[in-house]
Amino acid sequence: MSNPAKTSSTNAWLSLLLAGVFEIGYALAVGGSEGFTVLTWSLVAVVFFLLTLYALSLALRTIDVSIGYAVWAGIGAVGAAVLGPLFFDETLTPAKGIWLAVIIAGVIWLKLADRTKPEAAPVPRTEPVADRAGALRV
Amino acid sequence: MHWLHLAVAVIFEILVAIAAGKAEGFKNRKWTGITLASGAAATFFLSKALLTFDVGVGYALWTSVAGVGITVLGALFFGQRLNAHKAIGILLVIGGVVGLQLSGSA
Repeated sequence: MSNPAKTSSTNAWLSLLLAGVFEIGYALAVGGSEGFTVLTWSLVAVVFFLLTLYALSLALRTIDVSIGYAVWAGIGAVGAAVLGPLFFDETLTPAKGIWLAVIIAGVIWLKLADRTKPEAAPVPRTEPVADRAGALRV
Repeated sequence: MHWLHLAVAVIFEILVAIAAGKAEGFKNRKWTGITLASGAAATFFLSKALLTFDVGVGYALWTSVAGVGITVLGALFFGQRLNAHKAIGILLVIGGVVGLQLSGSA
């Protein structure tokens, strides 16, 4: 017998990891599309765009929005930086790697800033919205 | 030119965040449409920028500068607090972007 709550949480984190992987695919495909002049890469980019949106929205039903965005953005950015040189004529020099790490740490830190405090009174959970940058909850 | 393309891509990405916030989980059709159209425009201009930027560099710049823009706009116009935590994140991103540029890696 599996614990339904635990299963749901595991599935949510799997969705989030998948969303991160799809986001890497999106970044690489957008790069490979060369300004949307290469048909195959352009189509792949559109597919990954929709997949990452869908997987992220599934994950955010369970996972705290700010943590979800932080993990997703981090996977996407690190993945694009590391895998870019494998797919394209690019190099990841130490200097580039270090400054990219600072930028990526900054964006992860920024996404985590919206975290709701665990000790705070439970607030009515609004429907999370999947976007690609962190929706302004207005 | 690639910096200009990146800047336009960032602006559309910020628009995505604002529109997605108003789309109410994609139940509001008008804002859902604006979200998707902005996302498409952001993607298009990002791809133009990536003609020059490395994928990893351009993507990181795009997503992080948009994140900073969203936080700053949120504080200016949407009544969100700009606390020390957010300020550190903004400084890290700015420092990283400047360092990347000064080291000739961007």
